[in-house]
Amino acid sequence: MTAAATTPDAVIVRTPAEIKRSRYLGITYLFLAVVVLWFFARWSVDLGNFTFKLARPTDPSAPDLTLSAGRVTLIVGVILAAMGGVQLARGFGKMNNLVLAIGLFLFIFAFLGWATAQSSIGAFSMVGMMKTTIVRSVPITLGALAGVMSERVAVINIAIEGQLLGGAFVAVVVASPLTGGEDPTLILGSPIGGWIGVGAAVFAGMLLAWVLAVLSIRYVVDQIIVGVVITIFVTGMTSFLALRWLADNPELNKGPIFKSIGIPLLSDIPFLGPVLFDHNIFVFGSFILVAFLTFLLFRTRWGLRARAVGEHPKAADTLGVNVYRTRYLNVIIGGAVAGFGGAFFTLGSVGRFDENMTNGRGFIGLAAMIFGRWHPVGAMAAGLVFGFADAMSQTLGILQTGIPSEFLGMVPFIATILVVAGLVGKARPPAADGQPYIKQ
Amino acid sequence: MFSAFKKRGAFLALLFSFALVAAACAEDEPAATSTAAPATTAAAPTTAAPTTAAPTTAAPTTLPPPAPGREVAACQVSDTGGIDDASFNASAWAGAQRAEAELEGVSIAFLESTDAADYRPNIDAFIAEGCDVILTIGFLLANDTAAAAADNPNQLFAIVDQSPGPFPPWADADGNMLSDYANLRGLTFQTDEAAFLAGYMAAGASETGVVGTFGGLPIPPVTIFMDGFVRGVDYYNTVKDASVVALGYDVESGEGQFTNNFDSLDDGRSFAETLVNNGADIVLPVAGPVGLGSAALCQDTGACLIVGVDADWNATAAEFSDVILTSILKNIDISIFNTINNVLVLESLGNPFNGTLANGGVGLAALQDNADRVSSELAQEVADLNDAIVAAGSLAEFLASMADA
Repeated sequence: MTAAATTPDAVIVRTPAEIKRSRYLGITYLFLAVVVLWFFARWSVDLGNFTFKLARPTDPSAPDLTLSAGRVTLIVGVILAAMGGVQLARGFGKMNNLVLAIGLFLFIFAFLGWATAQSSIGAFSMVGMMKTTIVRSVPITLGALAGVMSERVAVINIAIEGQLLGGAFVAVVVASPLTGGEDPTLILGSPIGGWIGVGAAVFAGMLLAWVLAVLSIRYVVDQIIVGVVITIFVTGMTSFLALRWLADNPELNKGPIFKSIGIPLLSDIPFLGPVLFDHNIFVFGSFILVAFLTFLLFRTRWGLRARAVGEHPKAADTLGVNVYRTRYLNVIIGGAVAGFGGAFFTLGSVGRFDENMTNGRGFIGLAAMIFGRWHPVGAMAAGLVFGFADAMSQTLGILQTGIPSEFLGMVPFIATILVVAGLVGKARPPAADGQPYIKQ
Repeated sequence: MFSAFKKRGAFLALLFSFALVAAACAEDEPAATSTAAPATTAAAPTTAAPTTAAPTTAAPTTLPPPAPGREVAACQVSDTGGIDDASFNASAWAGAQRAEAELEGVSIAFLESTDAADYRPNIDAFIAEGCDVILTIGFLLANDTAAAAADNPNQLFAIVDQSPGPFPPWADADGNMLSDYANLRGLTFQTDEAAFLAGYMAAGASETGVVGTFGGLPIPPVTIFMDGFVRGVDYYNTVKDASVVALGYDVESGEGQFTNNFDSLDDGRSFAETLVNNGADIVLPVAGPVGLGSAALCQDTGACLIVGVDADWNATAAEFSDVILTSILKNIDISIFNTINNVLVLESLGNPFNGTLANGGVGLAALQDNADRVSSELAQEVADLNDAIVAAGSLAEFLASMADA
């Protein structure tokens, strides 16, 4: 790697920070290359082939991907090493992020190839893993979107977990009695009672968000404290009701589960069809919400005003924006999104409520919001990273790599740290985040 | 700036206190009696009569009547799964409820733990209330129970699923649990014996030739199910010269799929879906209520059958009985009933309890909706296997004798 010394005078002048980051990335590539060549390639030589199954029996047919583990790991290792060399020597300029994404993809591909080849099964369902990635990302993405909506107007929402849990509870309690009998007519995968349940969950989320809004905007209570109290309140209340009420009335805890809808034509595409276009309404709903909220926040006058309220409420107020009304509205929209996400846990997944069933997913959503830099698309990307981490550790649990499962569970998070440090420059929250606004 | 806060202080205080009261009601209310008990958990597995559990206890088979007017308060501390989990804690509570119903002078109460920090405070709350025997449900409460038992030598305790912990006297050289705690009774179960039968049955009943399992936490009372199940599949392969694959647990390394919680039903659905995607058509979820999420997947997609754990899920989760093949019974209720009975009649705990196929402490639930998946030959082989394990004395000895033969 002495090429740096012989580099001709650079045409583009790079700042010290960029040089530092470039060096960091280069070392990362070399490290990954060493891991792949030293650990995976060395062992893969005698392991033979691995197979990624690109279709399940019920999916549109697609051929299996069978490759030689030894060759794949060797090639990936060499590519990563070359990338490290180029990165250290001169960097990839504007291609930096793309190259990083490719590098991480290759590393994970080689890792999975090695893990599959060394297992006694020798194959796993790649289509299943990618589908799981998407499904698992949904509650996290929706929770993060709820956070984005309210923090963009400078109200910190720690209550996402509570809003998810409240939505989950209300959805099943409302939907269950309405769908007791067999109802043959399904609207987008659910009898009408299921939709009423979703509506009730959205309303519950809005109600909890309204409490957050009133206390933090009107009564200027510390927003973190309000959020924590709401979460504790909902956790306690739903546990209490589940124990003393639902347990005695099991007919109230037997909701419909929204069926998958295959989008015509698109869901027939091999591999991509089942992964992207054959899901229930919660998955499609999260895709649509990401697009819609991005448009709302960044392409409309209303969104510009909302963001101004989050950055500099006094300036916005001076220019005639109603700061309070904007904050109320956004926080409550966020609550509606979280309530919808809560309904996923019951009506979108298992059809029944059990205490604390969200299991901290709201807090992961909060992390995804920050990781996604307070942007809906970023939130979804972060949700997908967490979803992939989940799906991969499940798959590795089946493949039996011989490495402790606790360690394997960490691998995706190590990748996450690399992405955050390398890809996402400095994350900056809205300037007025968490500060109450008192009109003079 | 804070004038607004002051003015509305009363409103806020009200909200806070409401929240705290609600939380307290759900988590710490100790005064539950059978009237508040979940209806779904009332049905105790009826496969084994309480007397079949007697062989391992010190109690004579015919107990003398208790002293007239003697009363026993039995208090249960659940782990984070909650008392309505349709399996582990529910089964224990069913035993306590049966004791209250059938034994004169027994009153019962429970406290739920929402996280690990609640265990010791819940135990201490019951000590303060003057409970005669405190029943702690689960391996996760082991350290707190042992510490409480050491601190309160006159308070009687019983703990479900204890195995040797970090305290040296917890097991003696012969493997007798808790022998140095005269006031603490271990209630353990050789669930791998029953899981072995379930694994054999599942291997025979599988149409895809793939079965799968996942657990809640990699702790012995969970992995013992997975271990027995996978060994049962392996044994089927050996006997039948078949090649049924068991996904999700490796007997040698003890590694496998774990949700790392006992709360998230969505995890149960997702983990089962991963197994199904990789070919499994019978899934054993060993994670308390999380397994209900797996059952929901099977019901939703019709792609799999579930092997229930702890209690007979045909009774405790009847809404899923159309996708339940069988259940691995761990009759915690019998051990709890037996403990309360001992305290009432003998005024002591009796010997450690170890549930086996032989004494009815563990077993396989009766087939119900999916009985057609198990051929009569397969059912007969499972029954013979049961007899062979009972005759051999333990699963380990049975496997050793098979290896010799």
